[in-house]
This record gives sequence, structure tokens and C-alpha cells, in this order.
Amino acid sequence: MAKIELRQIRKTYDRYVAVENLDLDIIDGEFLVMLGPSGCGKTTTLNMIAGLDYPSQGQILFDGREVTAEPPHGRNIAMVFQSSLLYPHLTVRKNIEASLRHSKLSKAERAQRIADAARMLELEPMLDKLPSQMSGGQRQRAATAKAIVREPACFLLDEPLSALDAALRLSLRSELVNLQKRLGTTAVFVTHDQVEAMTMGDRIAVMSKGNLEQIGTPDEIYNQPASLFVATFLGSPPMNIVAGDVSGGVFHAGPVAIDLAGRAIPNGPVSLGVRPQHVTVTAPDAAGAIPVTVYALEHLGRESVVIADDAGGNKLRALVDPGFHARIGDRLGIMPAASACFFFGPDGRRISA
Amino acid sequence: MKTHRPNFVIAMAILIIWSLLPILWFVRMAFMNHAEIASFPPHILPSSFNLSSFVNIFGYDYKLADGTISSASGQAGQIELGLQNSVIVSVVVTLITMVIVVPLAYVFSRLDFKFKNVLLNAVLLAVAIPPVSTLIPFYTMYVQLGLVGTLPGLIIIDLTTTVPFVTWMLIGYFRNLPPIERLARIDGFSRLHTLVFLILPLARSGVAVSAIIAFLFAWNEFTFALVLVNGTPATTLPAAISGFLGQDPNPSQLAACILITIIPPALVAFFLQRHLAEMNIADPVR
Repeated sequence: MAKIELRQIRKTYDRYVAVENLDLDIIDGEFLVMLGPSGCGKTTTLNMIAGLDYPSQGQILFDGREVTAEPPHGRNIAMVFQSSLLYPHLTVRKNIEASLRHSKLSKAERAQRIADAARMLELEPMLDKLPSQMSGGQRQRAATAKAIVREPACFLLDEPLSALDAALRLSLRSELVNLQKRLGTTAVFVTHDQVEAMTMGDRIAVMSKGNLEQIGTPDEIYNQPASLFVATFLGSPPMNIVAGDVSGGVFHAGPVAIDLAGRAIPNGPVSLGVRPQHVTVTAPDAAGAIPVTVYALEHLGRESVVIADDAGGNKLRALVDPGFHARIGDRLGIMPAASACFFFGPDGRRISA
Repeated sequence: MKTHRPNFVIAMAILIIWSLLPILWFVRMAFMNHAEIASFPPHILPSSFNLSSFVNIFGYDYKLADGTISSASGQAGQIELGLQNSVIVSVVVTLITMVIVVPLAYVFSRLDFKFKNVLLNAVLLAVAIPPVSTLIPFYTMYVQLGLVGTLPGLIIIDLTTTVPFVTWMLIGYFRNLPPIERLARIDGFSRLHTLVFLILPLARSGVAVSAIIAFLFAWNEFTFALVLVNGTPATTLPAAISGFLGQDPNPSQLAACILITIIPPALVAFFLQRHLAEMNIADPVR
């Protein structure tokens, strides 16, 4: 159990700035996902929380106690690494036991803890196997057992599911969240997968280029994105972006004019963003529709996605009924629902209205 | 292993003949007498397997079947000394090399520090310099230091080659190990503990292979031995054998000596092969 606070954290490698003035409060017991593309500073931040790396400036507090310069095992954290890293030459039991090396537990207590962790993760028959003798999912469970056996203040997970196949990832996702909620331990989970972030996190911290773009619940991040980056990074299929400008309550992009139905967007250059489920497919010359040429039609079973090029070659997507038919090269119109549109200023921040 | 296709068999046959025929040629010479070696067309196998050369090179006369005596080799003293010194030099060079190289290669492969690349390039440069080019400078230096004709002198020179070469080899091996240092830091293991109890057991194949390489280099080293220790009490086996070419030419005894010289490397190669296979099979984690 721990509340973790990052205060004005800055991390540089020579001249490269990995993390810039990061302020982050991680609430006791929450599952926080740090999401962003590679190189955005999320793993660096996690390593600083772990004590594997030290910030160039700023402070890290665990329950109000400063731990900025403390080595990892002094912080009572547990970490699960990418591809479920374990000591390859030690058995699962020895691997789990290594986590307890610095605890002052008696031999019997240790054995009890290991047995409990193994039972919780259904690892009992595998305790005497080497990591190389197990499947990817079993290794992942072993790495998790190694983490929980310490009864840490905080779990730190660095893309632990990225090396697994899709089906296994799906089942382990809910397993991990379920375990974290049962134990009530604070968890910080780093991923570049927006589906993992949306499905697992109590809150999501979206990072880009060393900066925290937005932090909030999955609902807030999805429905009220703070910036163009957050809006386009989350959501599948991704949000449509059309560059243009607003004057007098009407959005113009070349010949296209979309009436904003009374929404108070200030005049000037903006980017319009609209999710594929908030557009309708019309005739190419319908008023307020963007004329497009069909590029591809993807069937997802429950629905289909029309992918189409607008006049500038920009790809736009629309969710349609599975019965929808179109051929590549067909001319169509895509009409955004004005009420569901987001507008982003030239600085990439969302204009709220 | 179902690879009995004719092309494969032919290729393997050529490969085996290519590499084994020269060895067969001198092995048979070791068991022949002068007349047999000199005869033309050559005999593929000796008519009588006589062991006289093997006895002669260790300083004993040998009575042949027809009653004639094959007398002890004049090189015998050097050969015995050489065998003894070669064992000492090779073992000492291997031990010192490994003590220096394991931490060195570990630091270069797994840690970041200032001037790392400059230092790494210096190590690589040392590998790139042909050993012969340092022969004259070493010789003049050794004359001043009184190291000519001494075992420590030869050991130091062997180390100047084995240390950079083996470091370079082990760096590659260490780099491919999984990043368990991070795990070890979370678990609170010290750097030294991590190296000795976690990295070394994991890298044992690579470490064994590099120790063998260092041993083989020291065992086979000829150029420096010829210049610095040949004819002195510090002579090594390759230098002592070269004596058969000049002072006391005897092809049969020369062949017997070479046969003895290749036994340790052959044994070592046997273990090397086991570890090399292990290096290939053992895919650490992933």
C-alpha cells in the first residue's frame, strides 16, 4: 500500500531530455497505466519510481517519505519486466525465493509465502521447473508470483504482456487486474497498447515526448481528450482528423463547410477530430459532408469500417453496418455529427465548447 | 538426422580428407623409419609400427626388432623442458587471462561509463595489431629488463594477445544474456554477487570456451617463443620442436613430437565442441 508522488521530475541523458517537469500523484491502491509511444519517457519514469534510474531533478515520495536516491530494494517495490524476465538458470521456486532475500522472515514463513504465491497463480506443479521449460503464460505467472511474494508497497509492470500472443494477453489482462484488486496493492503498468490501457487502468497517464499529456479515467481520456495527441492515440479505429478553420460558427476545410450547430468555437485555424462511430456515410454531394473515394472496406463482423481518401489524400474512417457495400474507388460523402466533434487549436490542445 | 543424400556424403568426404590427410601423413611418419619416409612411391601406412621415435625424443635408446639401436634424440632435453614449460605457461596464461577478462568483458558489455567507447576501441585495436609487429620492440625492451629467456617474460607477452582477444570474444557473449541485472537490483543483490552467482553460471559456456581459446593460444604460440626462449631453460614445446628442423633433422622424431603437441589441443577441442553445442542450444530465456 503506498501513495506515490512525483514532484517536478526531470531526467536527461547528456543533452537528450527523457522526462520533462513531470508531476504525478499515484493514489494508494489504484491501477495506473502509463501509456505512450516508444521513447515517450514512460519506461524511464517507471525505472525512476523503481529506483533503477535516478532523476536528474525532482523528488519521489512514497507515502510522504522521500525515496529519490534510495536503491530499489529499500523502497519495497516489486517489478515485472518486459517478456517476464526471470533468472534463466534458477528454478521457479528459487526465482521467487530471490525476492525474499532481503526480508527478515524465518525459513518457515518464507516457505509459506512461496506456497501462497504459487497457489494464487496456479504454479504449484511448476515450482521446480526452469523458465525455459515453461510456456510464455506460465513464465508470466512466475514473474507475477515473484512480485507478489514480497508483499510490496507497489507493483511496477513494464510491458509484461508485450511478448505474448493475443489470446493469452487477453486472459492475463483480466487476471492481473483481478489479482491487483484482491491484494489492494498500488500498481503502475507501462504499455504502448491503448487497448491494454483502456481495459486495465483505473486511471491512464498518457505521455508523449517526455511530457505528461493527460491523466484521467479511461472514460475521461476517451471522451474528453486534452490534446490532439491523446485523441489520436486512443481509440480503434483511430479518430478522423481534418485540418481547416472556423469562422462564424462554420468549419471550413477547402470547399467543405460544416455547420457547428451553435457550438462556440472561436474563429481561426483548427483541426476537427471525430471518431469513426460519429460520422454517417452519405452521397458525395450532400451538404456538410466531406467528399471521399473509398480506399478499403474492413469487415469486423459486428460492424465494418470504410476507409476512404478525402481530396487531400487524408484517410478518413467511418463505422457502418456489416451489410454495407462499397467498391474501392466509389465516391461517397462522410458527414461528421457536429455535436460529437472535437476541435484542436494550432498548439494541439483541445478547444472546449 | 536424415541427411544421407549423395551430395552431402561427397561434401563431407572431401571435407574430412581435406582436414585429416595432413594429420594422417605426419602421424604415420611418427611410426616409420628413415628408409620408409624416404621411399617413393610413399607408403600409406608404415610397414612396422615402431615406437622408437616416441622413446628417443624422451632421451632413451630403442632396440629395434632387427637388433639395431635407434639412439636417443639430441633434442630430448629441450623437448622435456619444453613440455613442462608449455604446461606451466598455458595454465598460468589461462588463469590470469580469465581473472582479468571476466570482469573486464562484463563491465564493457553490461555497464555504461564515461569513455567506454574509446577504451573499447583500444581493446579492439590491440586485437587488430599483428603480434609479429611488436616482436622487435618487445625484444629490445626485454633485453633491458632481463626478461629474455624467462617464463614470466613469455607469459606477459602471451597475455598481451589473449587478454584483448578473449575480452572481445566474451563481450559478445555477455551482451546476449538477458538483462537480469535489473531483476537482481530489485532483489537487492550487490554487483559482485550478481556477477559471480547470477551472470557467471549463466555464461559458463562462453567462459569455458574463452578459457580454452586462451589455453590454445598460449600452447601454440611459436613466434615469440622462438625468438625469446628457444634454446634456454624456458623453452616451450613449439620452440623446442623447431630444433628438429636445424640442429638435428629427424622427420620421424619431429612427427612424434608434433603428435604429442596436438594431444592436449585435441582433448580441449573435444570439450570445446560440447560447450559450443551448448552455446547454440541454450537459448537463455525468451
